[in-house]
Parts: sequence; structure tokens; C-alpha cells
Amino acid sequence: MADIRERLTDCFAAVFPDVSRQDIPKVDHYNLARWDSVASVTLFATIEEEFGLELDLEDLPALVSFEKILSYLSTKVAASS
Amino acid sequence: MKLIEALRIVGEKQNSDLPALRVRLVCGFTPMHFQTFLQAKLRRSHPDQRVEITSGVYGDIWGTLGKLNAEDTEIAVVIMEWSDLDARLGLRGLGSWSPSVLPGILENVHARANEFRTSIERIAKSVPVAICFPTLALPPVAFVPGWQGSSFALEIRSTVASLSLDASRMRNVKVLDTQRLDMLSPLADRFDPKAEVFSGFPYKVTHASILADLLIRLTALPAPKKGLITDLDDTLWSGILGEVGLQGVTWDLEHNSHMHGAYQRLLHALSEAGVLIGIASKNDSELVTQALLRDDLILPGRSVFPVEASWGPKSEAVDRILKTWNISADAVVFVDDSPMELAEVEARHPGIETILFPKNDYQGLNDLLYRLRDLFGKASISEEDSLRRDSIRRAHQVDSQSSGKSLEAFLEQAAPEFNFDFSKHPADDRALELINKTNQFNLNGRRVSDAAWQNFLKQQDTFLLVTTYNDKYGPLGKIAVIAGRVRGKTIEIENWVMSCRAFSRRIEHRSIEELLRRFDADELILDFEATPKNGPLREFLADLMDSTPSSACTVGRDRILEYLSNRLPKVAEVAHG
Repeated sequence: MADIRERLTDCFAAVFPDVSRQDIPKVDHYNLARWDSVASVTLFATIEEEFGLELDLEDLPALVSFEKILSYLSTKVAASS
Repeated sequence: MKLIEALRIVGEKQNSDLPALRVRLVCGFTPMHFQTFLQAKLRRSHPDQRVEITSGVYGDIWGTLGKLNAEDTEIAVVIMEWSDLDARLGLRGLGSWSPSVLPGILENVHARANEFRTSIERIAKSVPVAICFPTLALPPVAFVPGWQGSSFALEIRSTVASLSLDASRMRNVKVLDTQRLDMLSPLADRFDPKAEVFSGFPYKVTHASILADLLIRLTALPAPKKGLITDLDDTLWSGILGEVGLQGVTWDLEHNSHMHGAYQRLLHALSEAGVLIGIASKNDSELVTQALLRDDLILPGRSVFPVEASWGPKSEAVDRILKTWNISADAVVFVDDSPMELAEVEARHPGIETILFPKNDYQGLNDLLYRLRDLFGKASISEEDSLRRDSIRRAHQVDSQSSGKSLEAFLEQAAPEFNFDFSKHPADDRALELINKTNQFNLNGRRVSDAAWQNFLKQQDTFLLVTTYNDKYGPLGKIAVIAGRVRGKTIEIENWVMSCRAFSRRIEHRSIEELLRRFDADELILDFEATPKNGPLREFLADLMDSTPSSACTVGRDRILEYLSNRLPKVAEVAHG
């Protein structure tokens, strides 16, 4: 879990370079203006590449915060291992 | 490069004081990750510039092409996909695929191809263009099964192939070779239908990265290597010459040594394109001389100079070859079948590119042929390329003949002929080629992009002097370049380069005299900068100025004339082109 959190933080840091690493866990779609539709596509592509998995299309609308994505990824990674 | 890495690079702040490299990305899709990769890779390949990429509106490649101009663009990167020719050739458009509409699609494709040709012709007059034609598979529009070639698909591909050929012949345009893209990015792994439908970005991330990489190489071709030094036994031919004798070494199918013939063929082609080919072999010198006279060699002995055959260390043979060629190790590739020899040469000549000859490994041979082409590849072959090898051979003879005579006396009997050309020809690539590949006699080592060069030539206050040299030992071709600005009675020299083949002929002296005469100048300001390699230029300047050169050093007319007074031998002919 710690490893997933760290790698997901790396993805967020790359897509949102203006957000400090300690603030990243608090980030969500509503409190970060830069998190628009283009940023979403970039973030999801980065996560897919980093974790070597494909995000399900129907799950994307719910993935609106760091914590939600972390929880989703933890389930996905556990299921695939 | 992974997307996360590219994003990190793009996220780094750029120094706003750096000169801008303004790149216009022209495509019909949402550029997204492709633009990220392009930006990241350009920043890495152009660390001295501030990279600015702009792109157009989704679905409007034609509008973006129409607005493109030299005022705000240094390089145009154009990517066409099938849907740019007709929206029905993409997954996102939902126009009909009925058999009855296919002729209409073809008509549209032809019209769009013509429109594209006209646009690129216009843009390339002022901006260098790198183009990639469709990289994705055509969707299943035609009614035949996918494994059968349909006249519909074949006609579309043929139209684009013809367009691609026309574009490749335009000056200032470089077309991406789809075969190289096929090798690096398999067709089936390129398209991302989900991303295409939901975000308008059609590529998988890996394909976007590879495509960006190749297009950047296309915009700035790396400086080609200048010379190749090859081993003989079990490399240029199969067999050990000292053991099997003159007729025992082979390079053909009959003796199962065909791979050496294929290697010779490429070396011959490289030689004919101006690459210097030398030999470093641990062998009996006399035996090698005789072997190289064999008339069935695919790489004829006359294409090779010099031949260093001895029992000493190969690194010393390489030393002598580099001295004869007068080029540095980093411009040279050394090929040998022995890892130990490669290591020994590399230890003494850091920077030299060493390649292990893949004995008995045909896949390795095929890879080697491509690798050598890439290392020595150039956009065009100039007249100077065909002169290079012979002029070095002659210079070698000249050196032995001139020993004992003063340089002036020797040069006078050589009957030198100069041509000084001050015209600013954007179409003549030789001047820029010299600026970008010369190291030793180079005022500051600065490289200049195509776009910056063309912009420089267009300016009113700039000048360009290209010197061509010939003497009784043969022509050297266009051999020296001085470029700069004239401000009243002052000449500011920004670039001054001379090929190392032209050393010791007083060409630099003649050029500077010509410059003073032409502009009736009182002084020269030289934008000098010491580099690890420009020692010869530094020494010349120190002599000319009678002091150590510094940046923006100034030297007056009187001092120059005094310096030149006893250093200019009589010439047979001076012409002005």
C-alpha cells in the first residue's frame, strides 16, 4: 500500500507540478482548478503506464480525488497479483 | 521515455532569458501526450533554448496550415492522419461507409492531398518542415475482407505515397521514413480507440513517444560521423590473411562468408558518399598491400586511405589515421571483431565509437548495416564529399614533398586558385554544413539551426563569405566560411570555420584580406569563444592579434595588414563568385 501511495503521488506530482507532495493526498477534482478534463486524461494515462494496467471506463467518473484513486488502485493491484 | 518522465521535464521551469525555439505542431487530433513528449524531448535536445510549442484547433489541420508563417515559427512539425483527408477515415467521425460513398471519399482524398502539397510548398519557403504521413491503420471502410487489398485502400495509400515523394523533394522539407517507424512501433500497437473516441487523441502512449523521438531527429539531424576505421581479418573479409594467404580470404556465399561482402558493400557506398575509410590491422604490411589490390574486392583498395598494417597496438594505428585525416576521435567509428582490440582503442581514444563486428551473426550484421547508415547518414551529398578522400591523400603527398621548403615557397609553386563568393544563397547547404561540423578551426563552436541560418541570411546587414580553393594538387571545393554583420567600418564576425583539410594553405589569411578589401573595414570584432577543440583557430587569432584572444576581441586594419604582409604567397588566380 505504501508503495502504491508513493507511486501514485509521483503520478500526481508529474501532472500537477505546482502542488507540493505533502498536499497531494488532499487533492480532489473540486479543490484543484487545474484538474480539468485534459488533466484527467493525462493523469489516467500516467497511472495506466506507471501501474501497467487499464482503468475501466465506467470507473473513471468516480475517480475524483487522490484518496479515491488510491483505494481503487489498491483493489485493482491486489486483484491482479 | 515514459509519460511520467516527460511530464516531469515539461513541469520544470524554463529560463526565460534563453532564446526561444518556436515550434508549430500541425495535426488534426488533440495533441495531448504527443505534445508532452515533443516538448520534453526538445527541451533535452535543445538545452540552450526555451522551447515553445503551439498547436491548432482539433480537427482543423487545414486551418492550422493556412495560418502558419515564419514570423512566429522556427520549425513546423506536421502529422497527417487518414481522418485529415476525410473525416470518414477515422473512428470518431460517424459518416457513412456505404459502398456508394467510397468514390466520394476518394475524390475528397485527392483534393485534400493537392491542398496539402500546395500548403507545404508555401510554408517550406520560409520555415523548415518535418512531416509524418499517416501512421495508423486505415479503418475497414471498404467492403472487402481485411486481408484482401481493395482498390479503395490502395488508391488512398498510393495518393499519400505520391504526396510523400513530392514533399521529400521540396527544399526545407524532411519526411519521416515510415519503415523506421514500423520497426520501432508495430502497426497493431499504435492506435488507442478509447482515447480517440473520448479525448480525440488517437495514439497509445508508447507510439506517441516513439513518433516524437523520430520527428525531433528529423528536425535536427545529428552531425554525421566522418570516418570509419576497420579491421581486416574476420571483419572486412573472412580468414586470417597471414595464415590462409592472398587467395584464402573470402567474402562470398560460396565460402559461407557472404556477411563480409555485405559489410564491404556498405563501406564502399559510404566511401562514395564522402565518408573516410581507413584500415587498422595487425598484419604484415606488404601482404595487406597485395591483398588490397585484389580486383574482386567489393570495397576497392583505392577507396581506403590510409592503411595501417603493423604488429603494434591498434590504438597507435588509429592515432596515425586520425592524424592523417586531421579529425578527432569522436567523429570516427572503429569496427573490429575483437572485443579486446575495441577496448584497447577506446581506452586511448575516448569518444571514438567502437562496434564489434558480429562474426557469424546475420541478424547482428543486418543491425550493423542500419546502425552504420544512421551514424553516417546525411541529408544530401555535396561536391566536397566526393573530393574529400582524394584531397587527404594528396595532402599527405604534399606534406612529404613540402618538407625542407618554406611554406610560402611551397604554396607559390602549388599555383593556388581562390574563389570568394559573397552571395547569400539559402539553397546552398554547404556553408551551414561546414559551420555545423567543423571543430578545430571554428571561432566559437556554436551550431546553427536551419531556421536560424535562413533568418540570418535574410537580414540586410549580414554577409556570408564562402571560399573555394584549388591548386595543382587538386580541388578542395568550398572549404571556408565567414559570416557576420557589417556595421559601418566595423565587421562583426559571428561564424568563422575552415575545414581541417584546408590547413597550411593560408586560406584563412586570404579570406580575411578579402573581407577587409570588400567592405573597406577599419576593424574586425570576432565573436570568439574557446572550446575544447578549437585550438588551431585560437593559435591563429593569437598570432594575428599578437595577444591571447578573448570573447568579442577586436583587431584593427593596420595590424591585420602588417600581419599579412609577409604571409601571402602569390596566387595563380583569384575569382569572385
